[in-house]
Amino acid sequence: MSASPRADGQPAGGGRGTPPHHRRRYDVIVVGAGLSGTLVAKRLGDQGWRVLVLEAGTGTLDTWPGHLDAMNTYYAAAAKVPNSPYRPNAAAPSPDVLDLAGLPDGGFRASGYFVQNGALPYGSDYLRANGGTVMHWLGLTPRMHPEDFAVRRTFGYGRDWPLGYADLESHYRAAERQLGVAGDAQEQSEAIGLPFPEGYVYPMHRIPRSYLDDVVAAKIDGVPVQESADSPGTTLRVVTTPHARNSVPDARYDGGRGYRPAGAAGLPNYGERCVGNASCVPICPVQAKYNPLKTQATWDSRVTLVTRAVVSRVLADGNGRAIGVEYQAYDDPAAPVHTTHTAEADIVVLAAHAIENAKLLLVSGLAGHSGQVGRNLMDHPVLLTWGLMKHPVGPFRGPASTSGVESFRTGPARKRRAPFRIEIANWGWGWPAASPGSDVARLLGITGDSGQPRGRGVFGEELRRRLGGGIGRQFSLQFELEQEAEGRNRVTIDPRHRDRLGNPRPVITYDLSDRVKRGMAAAKAVSDRVFGLLEAEDRTVYGPGPFSPGHFRFEGQDFAFNGAGHGAGTHLMGDSRDSSVVDHWQRCWDHPNLYAVGCGSMPSVGTSNPSLTMAALALRSSERIHRDLTELHRPVTVRTGGGDRTAASRVPGPAPSPHSHPQQEVRP
Amino acid sequence: MDGFVDVSVGLTGFDSFDLHATGVAALYLETALDQVGTEAFERFLDELDAAGGDPGRLEGETSRDIARAITHLWYLGVWPQLARSVHTALGREKANVPFTVSPEAYTEGLVWRTFHGHPAGAKAPGFGTWSDPPPGAPPVPRVTAAGRPVGKPEEDREEEFQGDIS
Ligand SMILES: Cc1cc2nc3c(=O)[nH]c(=O)nc-3n(C[C@H](O)[C@H](O)[C@H](O)COP(=O)(O)OP(=O)(O)OC[C@H]3O[C@@H](n4cnc5c(N)ncnc54)[C@H](O)[C@@H]3O)c2cc1C
Ligand code: SF4
Repeated sequence: MSASPRADGQPAGGGRGTPPHHRRRYDVIVVGAGLSGTLVAKRLGDQGWRVLVLEAGTGTLDTWPGHLDAMNTYYAAAAKVPNSPYRPNAAAPSPDVLDLAGLPDGGFRASGYFVQNGALPYGSDYLRANGGTVMHWLGLTPRMHPEDFAVRRTFGYGRDWPLGYADLESHYRAAERQLGVAGDAQEQSEAIGLPFPEGYVYPMHRIPRSYLDDVVAAKIDGVPVQESADSPGTTLRVVTTPHARNSVPDARYDGGRGYRPAGAAGLPNYGERCVGNASCVPICPVQAKYNPLKTQATWDSRVTLVTRAVVSRVLADGNGRAIGVEYQAYDDPAAPVHTTHTAEADIVVLAAHAIENAKLLLVSGLAGHSGQVGRNLMDHPVLLTWGLMKHPVGPFRGPASTSGVESFRTGPARKRRAPFRIEIANWGWGWPAASPGSDVARLLGITGDSGQPRGRGVFGEELRRRLGGGIGRQFSLQFELEQEAEGRNRVTIDPRHRDRLGNPRPVITYDLSDRVKRGMAAAKAVSDRVFGLLEAEDRTVYGPGPFSPGHFRFEGQDFAFNGAGHGAGTHLMGDSRDSSVVDHWQRCWDHPNLYAVGCGSMPSVGTSNPSLTMAALALRSSERIHRDLTELHRPVTVRTGGGDRTAASRVPGPAPSPHSHPQQEVRP
Repeated sequence: MDGFVDVSVGLTGFDSFDLHATGVAALYLETALDQVGTEAFERFLDELDAAGGDPGRLEGETSRDIARAITHLWYLGVWPQLARSVHTALGREKANVPFTVSPEAYTEGLVWRTFHGHPAGAKAPGFGTWSDPPPGAPPVPRVTAAGRPVGKPEEDREEEFQGDIS
């Protein structure tokens, strides 16, 4: 137990853990050092504001030894799920996909951090450690389609954004620079209809397609398929996906100035190319995949990061202004004992992940006017299909997915059913069937239940041959469906369910609408057609059972879905304080100096993996926060140290002002 | 040790050179002895001998399950759960749970080699290698729908180097 949490990790950029947080005011407090919090802190620190970043998790991953420890934990993990490399933390628990188990006759059981009481399970995790969930993301960074921002106006379902693609376009570019995106803008524009400024190229050339992508493209490109007997044909086309992953820099970028990839945090000049480790989820060994620690390494020294600091409440005055936060500092994540502190600032930014942001607002009793806090929880429900190709396709090589089929993301069919993106999965049956481990066990006759009689098993040459011939031909498709905002899907808190530090655990109520289920039925029909074109042997089966917590029946057919990790919607933005939690700057309607940033602000998620859009929004909000702070800080005259020059302090910047440093007793 | 590797050749279908080269053979022998005890292990060796060295012909369920476990270990680096009946018959005082023997054991798993792969997260083959056909697969033309031929990564790289030099 200590009065001030100690800094762990090497100071790379920014200051770490000093000085004692509770004795000083800051311009901004950012809650959470994941992707959105890291970007906001980066922007505001660069503009001269003093930023305190409070991070609930530990900061062990930002050193090279800490990263190697995570690698070894991953190698040794029995189930290589997204959170497997990262050590459990009792002070800031994370949900885990292993917390869910299907029941023999359908339905599911949830254990662990989340309390789940919905008809279907919310099947996504996140990570509470410095760097956040992006430490184990896959790194796909497609933009949303312009029509995704206005689904209610255009198609009559869900919620509309208070802004559109055009408002966000320059921020998309800024995010693509910050994250280091490799992609082919011309192809994105031709194939998907995404508008880019004339001549725009991504920072890096697209990630090379997998051999599997080429095999699929050769069979399906240009072929029209019908998703049902009465629907018009949709033309298939394999399109490479933009990635936040280091590829070959494009010399044309930035008006010919080019782009220098960011290397690993803790070991710069390493990881400047993706070398095909094929473990992006859950951890990239060389850190060729973007993670927020790379941005943290470039933080201005005015950014102070305090890890092991769990924010428990946002503090507000009687007029609805946020004055700061209360947080719990601890030393030992295994047996946490905490001390409680407060920190104050002019502006508070919640960036703790969609579910944790909503939880913090609920605990603090803030932003409640619209009644929407915690509601409209969305994810991209994922339908997997899998099979065997006629010849080897090289599974388990390269990034998990390098291309997709984007033809079902847009268009009038959205009036009836959820749209979807199809990811061509390079890692065999890794996700749907835990291959290749399950293949070895099955051939050896080892059953999942040790009480069941075992098969005789095959050994030696035959085992080797059968594994090689089978695994080498594995492939799968991942259909990511848009889920629309629905008030009934929600995060709540219940004083009976608390974690070790006494903070409420998220209580989740989740289900899929019929429109999502119709989308899944359409996705399965498309899958059947694609498998036919590929002349592939379909091995897809959906049924209840321990590994299918997401099993359901719809119109006489069995389905099973997974979570994508894309939690969103819990503090959605809108154009009215009566129906939304934040405005288009992600600023709480009820509290002008309290922001909630992240996917939680998204009123609709389209079919794109959401983090690039989230990053664009965070950068956009940083502009507004900067303006807010500038307005709060009137220019003052200060004497610069070491000389007798008197200079008007730079605005924007760290201008001492009565508002931000009362303890310094500066009187203009 | 050599005896263990000889037996493992029959179990795995990999030759002794490959097995020695993993560097984990001694660790696996130790693990197997530790997990099932010297007595059961010796019995397994004897029965395997009697079956002409062919694990497929092992009849005793205990020896057969030991054969499964050692093979599983070689292929994945993971000692599996034993059949409950075998666990009981051996009177084991350990928890009957699967575990990865060591981080290296995972990366040395033989399963990846059966299809010319590499362990996920280790022994990275290099940028763009995933674009090439794996052994035994036919080449496929690399053309986008718009008919625009797309360069192989090597060519992209070359372009880039040219750009750097000029
Ligand atoms: C397996 C997986 C794969 C994914 N792949 C992709 C992909 O390919 N493309 C894509 O776009 N998206 C992907 N995502 C989604 C992406 O990870 C999230 O959208 C993104 O991480 C959200 O960023 P965030 O900053 O809002 O939250 P997070 O990244 O979760 O960061 C929140 C931070 O806040 C901290 N925190 C939480 N509570 C508190 C508290 N009370 N006090 C202080 N700090 C707190 C956490 O410790 C964490 O560091 C994936 C997700 C998963 C799970
Ligand atoms: S394929 Fe490998 S090197 Fe490339 S990002 Fe994924 S894990 Fe990193």
